[in-house]
Amino acid sequence: MSKKINAPDKSGRTPWNRFVYNTNTVGYVFAAPFIIGFLIFTIIPMLSSLYYSCTDYNLIEKENWIGLSNYIYLFQDPRFLNSIKVTLQYVFLSVPTKLAFALFIAFLLTRPSRLVSFYRSLYYLPSLIGGSVAVALVWKELFARKGLINTNLAALGVSTINWFGSMTAAKWPIIIMTAWQFGSSMLIFAAGLKEIPGSYYEAAKIDGANGRKIFWKITLPCLSPVILFNLIMQLISSFMVFTQAFVITAGGPNDATMYYALYVYKQGIQSRNMGYASAMSWVMLLIMGVITAIVFKTSKHWVFNEAEG
Amino acid sequence: MRIKRFLAVLLALAMILATAACTKSDDSTNSDSNAAQGADNNSAASGDTGNKAGTGDSASTEPVKLRMAWWGSQTRHDRTIAVIELYESLHPNVDIEYEPMDFDGYFNKLATLVASNEVWDIFQLGSNFPTYQSKIYTLNDFIADGTIDVSGTTDAFLRIAADEKGNQVGLCSGVNTYGIAYDPALFAAAGVAEPTENWTWDDYKKACTTIHEKLGIYGSSKFDDWQAGASMGVNQEGFGIGFFNKTNDGLGFTDYKMLSDYLQMRADLVDAGAYPDPGACQEISDIENDFVVSGEAAMTWVASNQFVSLCTAAGRELKLINPPRKSANGPAGVSIQSSQMLCVSSDSKYPAEAAKFIEFFQSNIDANQILLAERGIPTFTAVREALAGNLTDIEKAVYEYVDVVGAFDTGGETVNPSSPACTDTIKEQYNYYLNKVIYKEMTADEAAKAIYDFAASQF
Repeated sequence: MSKKINAPDKSGRTPWNRFVYNTNTVGYVFAAPFIIGFLIFTIIPMLSSLYYSCTDYNLIEKENWIGLSNYIYLFQDPRFLNSIKVTLQYVFLSVPTKLAFALFIAFLLTRPSRLVSFYRSLYYLPSLIGGSVAVALVWKELFARKGLINTNLAALGVSTINWFGSMTAAKWPIIIMTAWQFGSSMLIFAAGLKEIPGSYYEAAKIDGANGRKIFWKITLPCLSPVILFNLIMQLISSFMVFTQAFVITAGGPNDATMYYALYVYKQGIQSRNMGYASAMSWVMLLIMGVITAIVFKTSKHWVFNEAEG
Repeated sequence: MRIKRFLAVLLALAMILATAACTKSDDSTNSDSNAAQGADNNSAASGDTGNKAGTGDSASTEPVKLRMAWWGSQTRHDRTIAVIELYESLHPNVDIEYEPMDFDGYFNKLATLVASNEVWDIFQLGSNFPTYQSKIYTLNDFIADGTIDVSGTTDAFLRIAADEKGNQVGLCSGVNTYGIAYDPALFAAAGVAEPTENWTWDDYKKACTTIHEKLGIYGSSKFDDWQAGASMGVNQEGFGIGFFNKTNDGLGFTDYKMLSDYLQMRADLVDAGAYPDPGACQEISDIENDFVVSGEAAMTWVASNQFVSLCTAAGRELKLINPPRKSANGPAGVSIQSSQMLCVSSDSKYPAEAAKFIEFFQSNIDANQILLAERGIPTFTAVREALAGNLTDIEKAVYEYVDVVGAFDTGGETVNPSSPACTDTIKEQYNYYLNKVIYKEMTADEAAKAIYDFAASQF
């Protein structure tokens, strides 16, 4: 191997050849597509949004530098504060629902059966298509005033629900849709469940533990690192909820589903307050950073780590 | 080993080049057409300073690629595409790429195109054109040098697509006005008298609640709240009073209470179940699936040119009447306006070609036999006369209604064809506060005051 860069060159290579055959060069060349993409599509837009967040850019006229005014105005904007409130509400309702559901299905699918892999693919399907506009439109029809859900409720003799006309009901179709896309969390849980050594379960059974005890004392603690991972991933993606609310409710009624990302879009693209929307995005980054940090800090107390334990 | 690594480096390089090629593909098509048009561009570039690129390429047969977009319903999409195809068959060197869209999507896309200096060569605008003025290629020079022949229309019709300085920002696609479409059979079934020219908002409210109580349907479907309650609503307060002043640099009224009655009425009607709640309104995506079409509502707000689509979709007899007034003898508030116009973008490489298409679109009789006044009553006399011969009953009703509105007393005031750039923001805020009233988080009086203060703060 030609790892030793300054080593005397036995085969008489030119400096160019030495450069090309160098391990580091090879590494960087392989990483280059990602690095270039990351710079162009992530870092540059992020930095320009940081600049625009201190301007009154409106897409049409040249921007003026206005300092921190956008950030100060944010906290006087009742619509912004409301969007934080409803987004937190959405995150705290949808993430546990989704994870609990994913864990439940993953648990069911640990049973040895020939159909397991078939079912796994089947349950993964909503994750693949669930974020699409087409599915959101289907959802809108399902929960419409005279949609399938209400028709069935009426047939059962239950009073129908005005899903999108009521400020308290409107969030549920969106939360249910999120929970329905449990597939990817389920796969990760399933992989985690497989990793738990069977000897633990055998020992517990010999000691006379019942199913519930086994789940709480063995399965959950052993699975906790996987739960942490899923929790973080879902928290982040839930904060960015957009398509469902945009297509199904358009933020209504009366801003009950005016989630953070949707309000950013409304300000930035619809009202053309790009500067203000950029400021909002940076505050969102901050909020998500803080929440993720809190989860990590507290995880010491509930995540079981075999290396330490 | 060495060969393997060399191969790996080679492959990686190939991959980078491939991604670079991908990201640039959009540009390369542009630059291709650029190169093809090199010679032509020179003449355009030299003409640019004098702003009359027109004469140079008018006889050109070199391939020209134009992009065009508009908003509207399916009927409009079908007819506009047919006219584009007709134009392409007459001018084989012109290729028009089109993007039919809905209203919100259109303006969202337009905003991003404005920012990236890629506005469609031919695009559609309404009274909100001052917002996009920097992107509009004014047509004065094309009119002066004859690229656009305006002898077939009148100055008055040209003026409704011009700004206050006399810049011809576009060519009007048709005139229209707002009105209420109602189903006379449902009115009769509920025992409610049909509205007359002098009906008031009280009559409207009473009709809504009675129809809802008798028939269990909505009395009224979704209104354009901003128009009904603010823009037109303030006009109804008296001649010469408007939401914005004539010079578009301030508000045209001083008493915020002029806004509160409408807000209160809307909240009351939603409460009573006589008007769809915001969730139900969400189900209406365009005029063709309005609740009037399905018979779930007895009347709805339309722009007069939408009436034909509405009637076709409904398949029943509908009638058209002016919106209710604030007082039976007060101003009607509605007036005849340019429904929309087609503009040439200043980003266009072929402004003269775009202008020629617009002239064809608005003044060619064959084209308008396809369009059938769907964007409003045509402003070119010959077109109007050619269409007048074979109007359907529905179209006749629209013409008659526009005549009725045209004859309304305006107190000698002329209509301001434009609205200030901040209109969209104020409209958004208006709807926000209206929802607050509907969901009882604010009283109508508080909301009216908040709307007024917000609007005033925009200047």
